Amino acid sequence: MSSSELKAKTVKERAGQALNNDFLRNAVKFTTERLRLGKKLASEEHGNWDVWRERGRQIRLHTIAHLDYYLNEFAEQARANGAHVHFAETAEEAVAISLQITEHKSAKSVVKSKSMVSEELHLNKALDSIGVEAVETDLGEYIIQLADETPSHIIIPAIHKNRYQIAELLSAEAGETLPPDTTILAGFVRMKLREKFLEADIGMTGCNFAIAETGSMVLFENEGNARMVTTVPKTQITLMGMERIIPSWADLEVMATLLPRSATGQKLTVYMSGISGPKREADADGPDEMHIIIIDNGRSLQLGDPEFQELLNCIRCGACLNACPVYRHIGGHAYGGTYSGPIGAVLTPALNKNVAEWDDIANASSLCGACYEACPVKIPLHDMLVSLRRRKIEAGRGDKLEAMGMKGFAAVMGNAKRYRSAIKLGKWGQKLVVRGGEIRTRIGPLKGWNSYRVTPSLPKQSFRDRWPEVAQEIHSTSGPMNPEIAARLKERLLAAEFRKGEKAYDKRN
Amino acid sequence: MTSETDHNWLNRLEEQSRLKQEQFMDGIAAKLGRDRIRTAPEHPFRGAPDFWKEFEWPLEQRITQFTANFEAAGGHVVRLSNREAVSQFIRDKAVEMSAATILRQQEEALSCLRLEESLLEAQVLSWNDEADTDWRAVAARADFGIVMADYATAYTGSIVVKSAPNKGRSVSLLPTVLVAVIPVDRMVTRLGEILVQFDQAGREQLPAGIHFISGPSRSADIENDLTIGVHGPGIVYALLVDSYEN
Ligand code: SF4
Repeated sequence: MSSSELKAKTVKERAGQALNNDFLRNAVKFTTERLRLGKKLASEEHGNWDVWRERGRQIRLHTIAHLDYYLNEFAEQARANGAHVHFAETAEEAVAISLQITEHKSAKSVVKSKSMVSEELHLNKALDSIGVEAVETDLGEYIIQLADETPSHIIIPAIHKNRYQIAELLSAEAGETLPPDTTILAGFVRMKLREKFLEADIGMTGCNFAIAETGSMVLFENEGNARMVTTVPKTQITLMGMERIIPSWADLEVMATLLPRSATGQKLTVYMSGISGPKREADADGPDEMHIIIIDNGRSLQLGDPEFQELLNCIRCGACLNACPVYRHIGGHAYGGTYSGPIGAVLTPALNKNVAEWDDIANASSLCGACYEACPVKIPLHDMLVSLRRRKIEAGRGDKLEAMGMKGFAAVMGNAKRYRSAIKLGKWGQKLVVRGGEIRTRIGPLKGWNSYRVTPSLPKQSFRDRWPEVAQEIHSTSGPMNPEIAARLKERLLAAEFRKGEKAYDKRN
Repeated sequence: MTSETDHNWLNRLEEQSRLKQEQFMDGIAAKLGRDRIRTAPEHPFRGAPDFWKEFEWPLEQRITQFTANFEAAGGHVVRLSNREAVSQFIRDKAVEMSAATILRQQEEALSCLRLEESLLEAQVLSWNDEADTDWRAVAARADFGIVMADYATAYTGSIVVKSAPNKGRSVSLLPTVLVAVIPVDRMVTRLGEILVQFDQAGREQLPAGIHFISGPSRSADIENDLTIGVHGPGIVYALLVDSYEN
């Protein structure tokens, strides 16, 4: 294809200035900093933030503890609204149901609004395989779809692209050269996607919350594309993780207070939509047919697991990513799963029920506790990271070096004086992170997110080289670890018995 | 696909789904280590913290706060005294912006503005007032969409619109400019004041679409640069009206 040739050539020309490590790191840093600050201001302005967090946590805990009741109730009420509800245990099942609907409707195109679940399923590929065009309509998602990449941030998926790269991509799509001007680029996308919305047979969305008592689903967004997708096409499919439930609209007030503030620092996203079934008989818009696919795909594995059940409380706000000094340095694609950052480091192995597959990147957490502090529903992500490490070692999959990492960690934790030193904090973190001088997998700054494969000039940089910077940032942005967290982690470590840890930690500590 | 009718196909899917549903719920209960729960559990933490439920601003402050929030999000707020002023404002704006097509909800509260007669420069249409029209397509080419707000919330600066046969979801979404008329007595302080009404009304009373709109459509996806009007209306007017009734 000549356009892709053109694309490759021009991008190559720009590779020197744009596709470099510094840009990615600076972009991620800048964006996460902006979001983090926004969240801080918004939560402070709102006031009583911890009271709200605690309320959010309680609602999520209560819902998950009674999930069979609430999920069942949701399904019944959604059916009463006229929606068709489906259950999928695995990603494959969810894909099969989606394809069946698509085929039955003889659909040629599907317009989608942002959905992490859809990323989990690799649905676009599946649709493509049966000749159905899947169009991502969220501006950032559309950009990375054109680039044939995956999102690098839950909230800002194209965080790693600059405006020149975006102009290249959109120019190829437009068949003319578009200037790297944000307004013009967005204007082009608006026009282009308008056509897609009006033509599409099926609209597909994720679901932020599902209200059990009325069978309604709730979407938060700023652009309006989720509204488009649920308003214009004749058939609508909602992909929903089985844990998205809240009991009532009253509970939605708490989630609506926590989610936008934590995600972007907004008091509310521009649109919050509650959708209860397909269009009513006499309505002149909205879908004629609505399908809701409720997906497990590893989620239920966390149920009844005292260490990980709280993962299901996650409302996918991205605040832990923005708070994480490691994420700020390496960006989302280094995590190698659908979900990145601290939540991704725990969720990816948890959903895959496979601690062995647990990537080294999960080690790249400093355990500084910033993710917990940021989390609007108080998920103890650092506790979970420690548990994961312990389980890996217990399963005989940790090697000596990692055991040493644990030892280093235990040693520091066991000594309050040493712990107080930020430099030491960096040091034990380094022990945890580094294996053989660098993190081996997916840490090459461009691997996994660069589809052009024309980056010979990139310096290979080991994580160790960057660690001092990370450590510095942990120190300057997170401050010392919350003593409460430190105490809990220590307790956990002491309680742990390493069957194959090669004296993983010294009892004297 | 095959000759199977939609109806049969959907029935077959529902049968499968119901079977699967039981397995799902049984599986969840088993993992949680107890029997299935079949009646609504006591929910001690329902809704916002108690102190919040009592929080309420007086009307003038609600209006000030709404205005500040809505403007901070990039929207425009205009306070008008009555219906005539609303009619005048919309006419002037439409002329100023050379609007060619104006689509309004089919509501008495809007038809009494008599835009059809007084605004000869533009074509004024009323949502779903005749069958056999593709109203979504009409909305997509409209320059102005005009809606009555069902409610507004001051604390978040949001307009709330509910769908109905005579009130299209597209009217507040597809046109380039959105004009929302908000009689001030529909303005409350908190989101929760509105949300609990949906609980109280119950499922049967809910419309297909309930939308909270807190400014113009926006995105910061390109280099964090704020872009307005990505998919939804880029220009939004909230017209706060002191006494809308005659
Ligand atoms: S773990 Fe907490 S902070 Fe991270 S995305 Fe989930 S809810 Fe947000």
